[in-house]
Parts: sequence; C-alpha cells; structure tokens
Amino acid sequence: MPAAPVYFDYAATTPVDSRVAARMAACLTREGTFGNPGSSHDYGDAANAMVEAARAQVAAAVGADPTEIILTSGATEANNLALFGVASYYREAGRHVVTVRTEHKSVLDPCRELERRGWRVTYLRPESGGIVDPDQVAAALQPDTVLVSVMHVNNETGIIQDIAAIAGVCAKHGTARLHVDAAQSVGKCALDFSRWGLDLLSLSAHKAYGPKGAGALVVSRKRGVHLQPLQFGGGQERNLRSGTLATHQVVGMGAAFEFAAAARESEALRIALLRDRLWGGLEALGGVLRNGAAARTVAHLLNVSFEDVDGESLLAAVRPSIAVSTGSACTSAAQEPSYVLRALGRDERLAESSLRFSLGRFTTGADVDAAVAAVTRAVMRLRGIAGHRGARRP
Amino acid sequence: MNYSDLTWRHFQSAAAAGVLAGPTVRRGAAGSRAQGTWVQFDIQVGSGDQDSTVEAVRFLAFGCPHVIAVSDWVSQAAVGRDAKPVLPETVQALCERFDVPIEKLGRLLIIEDAWIAALSSPYEG
Repeated sequence: MPAAPVYFDYAATTPVDSRVAARMAACLTREGTFGNPGSSHDYGDAANAMVEAARAQVAAAVGADPTEIILTSGATEANNLALFGVASYYREAGRHVVTVRTEHKSVLDPCRELERRGWRVTYLRPESGGIVDPDQVAAALQPDTVLVSVMHVNNETGIIQDIAAIAGVCAKHGTARLHVDAAQSVGKCALDFSRWGLDLLSLSAHKAYGPKGAGALVVSRKRGVHLQPLQFGGGQERNLRSGTLATHQVVGMGAAFEFAAAARESEALRIALLRDRLWGGLEALGGVLRNGAAARTVAHLLNVSFEDVDGESLLAAVRPSIAVSTGSACTSAAQEPSYVLRALGRDERLAESSLRFSLGRFTTGADVDAAVAAVTRAVMRLRGIAGHRGARRP
Repeated sequence: MNYSDLTWRHFQSAAAAGVLAGPTVRRGAAGSRAQGTWVQFDIQVGSGDQDSTVEAVRFLAFGCPHVIAVSDWVSQAAVGRDAKPVLPETVQALCERFDVPIEKLGRLLIIEDAWIAALSSPYEG
C-alpha cells in the first residue's frame, strides 16, 4: 500500500490533539460527565461546571472575559451571528457595513445577503501584499456604518491584519462596531480582545487541534455590544444562541485553546523555520511567486503561485505525495481561480496555479523535504509537457 | 476532482509527450496558455507508398489532466491510421471514454483543432 500523502493542510483543519480527545471522551459515556449542562441536578451541574471551565479557557486564550463568550457550532455560525445579529439590532441606527474582498465566504455571503435585504456594503480591496491599511477603513466609514468586519489572519495567504489599528479607527467613528474573524488565529499569533478594543470576535476549535463543530463568538460587554439572536429555543448563551450545549465539543475547544496558547511562541518559531525551508526549496524551481507580504504572514502558512503550470494538473500531480489546498475553488467540474489571490492582483492563471501549504504541530523537516521533492518533480514534468523553455523534456 | 483510471494513467505517463522533427513531420497547435489550454501535435506521416499513414505522433500540452490524458491517448491511437484531419475518435466519444465533464468540452475541441491544424499544415521540414 502506498504511503499516505504528507499533510500540509492544517489551515483547513487539524487533527484533534490526543490530550484534547481524552478530555472530550470523558464527557460522552455513562461513566463520564454526560449530563445536559442546562439540567438542574447533579449530572447537569457537573456538565455545566465543565462547560464553564472550558469557557474560561477560551476567554483566557483570546484576552476576553468568560461572560463574553457565546458558544457556537463553529466560526461560520459565529460570523453569521455577528453580521446578521448586529445588522438587525442596529438597523434603525444605520444600514451600512464595511468588509474586505479577501474575507472568508462565511463573511462575504452574509454580506451579499444583507445587500439583498437592503443594507449597503463596501468591499475594500487590500493592497497588493494583502494588507488592509487602517486609513482605507477610515475612508470607507459613513455616518450610518454600523459594522466593520475584517479577518485577523487570512485563511489563504496567512496575512495578519493590524486589527488593533483598525479597532482604533472604528472607535473614533463611534457607531461602527468591529467584528474580527479570527478562525485562523488561536495558537498562531497574538490576539487580545480586550486590550485591542474589539467588539466581536469569531473563533473556531478545529483549526487549533480541537474538534470540528465547535466555535465561539466573543461579544464585548465592556463596549456594550448588542445582537439580535438568529435562533430561538431554550435561551442558552444569554438568549443569543439557543440549543443544548455540546459539552464534549466545548470541553475540547477549551482544552485545545489552552494548549495552543501555551505552545504558541515555541511552535511558531519551529514552524517558521520549516516554512522558510519549504519556501527556499520551492523558490529554487524558478518561476515561483510568493503570495502575500512575507513580513506580515503567520508562520504556518505559505501560498505560492507557479508560472507556466496549470493549477488543476499541478494539484493532481502532487496529490499522491502531499495533501495541500489549491488556489482554486473546485465548485464545479471546472475550477475557478481564488478570489482572494485575484483581489491581491494575481492574474487568473497565477491565481489558479497556486498552492497553499499550511504547516502544523506534527510537520517535520522530512515532510518539508518530501513536499519540495514532490512539487519540484511535478512542476518540471508539467512544464516539460507544456514545452516550456528550460524545462525538463517529458 | 476525481479522474477515471484511463485519464489518470495517461496523465501520469504522458508517454507521447514531446516533439518530432524532420521533413515528414507536420505541426499544428491550437488554444493559448493565457486562456488555460494549449495543445500542439507533431505528426510524422509516412512517405512513398505509405504517404497517407501516421507513423508517429508527439504532443505538447498546457492544460488540465483531461487535456493531457486525451492528447496522449490520441497521439498513440492515431499511429498506423490514415493521416486525415480527423481525430481517431469524435470529441463526443473521447468525452465518454475519458469521463470528461461537459464543462470541459471546449478543451477537447482545442485538441481537435490542433490535430486538424497539424494535418492541414505543410510539412515542417
């Protein structure tokens, strides 16, 4: 049986840390803490205590207060709750939203829906390196702007936005609340909800060695942010997100965030060295372009475009050896180039022939060397088949 | 995307990729790299009594795995056949043989155009 491809898609999801899995398992069976955290008996109290401990772990990882954490099924739900919740609650104050073209679909699609419902949305175009200048945000604000949504770490390029500066711009405006999609941030880079003066923050557990199906929306109490709930039922989570809490998922997220925050600096240093080794190996191929401003990118992510290679063929050629994401969205039989890379100014061909390598806790130097070898082999072969000058003949 | 075994095999081997040169080689190309698909065929046509027979074919292709696989298959299937500006199989039949999604039909038409261009062109040499 051939060896499994080496995993380079940690930005898509991570394996659950075994320590996290053990804590989750303890919440599932009859011998464990299986009660409904909302029940008024010993079983419920025990589960509730675990949920609250996990809530405190999540809050500590992002510099928030536990009472500000609204538990959700993931970052997509958190983003939807933030956008629709704020827009609905403050609809009398204004109907203008500002966001960025390179946001995740779980922000862009709700924005499109808000437009259909009568809101106006300004989509900022970042500079060529992918960075949003806080002055761009300031210039986009209007008297009736109620929400600005800017992601912290871009999921395709790894670009880190200066969220603290953007928060300052929003604070000056007065009524523009800042929502930050931080699905890729925990354990990767510094994040301080209170000190940065953020209004809303979306989090995801499975990007940080926690379980899929768990996330949170942090809603500032200090800044008096209000939301209209999107779902109704048992009134859990301060009436903002009804539904029985999944104790094991929440406990898993809390533990994962605690471990990720504790290991952040040492892990980032180790992974940055591996990322640089990967880039060095790929760059030697020639005709290779790095997407996003390198100095402003998280350690675990490297997005690269390959000249003179078809993106779909490249992905197919490396697939037996490495698991990576492409710069294309395979939404149909024919691929579409990444809208994020297009927004950064890459032409259609380069956007299509890009690969996103995301490294993680279990990536080794040998993995990196294997990736360089696999990509080198594939690119040279495809360039040869395409008759590219200087390529190895097939 | 998942590919059929036949597509995968020809994409991985691309045994007929390359170029030919000589007085009996005809060359034709179609499509453009900028548009995402480009194919070139070099077709060696027999001389003398065999002047209407394809003796060897090599191709170059910039495109998706289906384009490379079909170009490779066509290059091999055409050997020994009459050197006519007609693919060994219709584009529709190739689509079915390689399980090519309908959205990619246009890419197979580029392969056909390159083949026709080659056999409609004067000798390379």
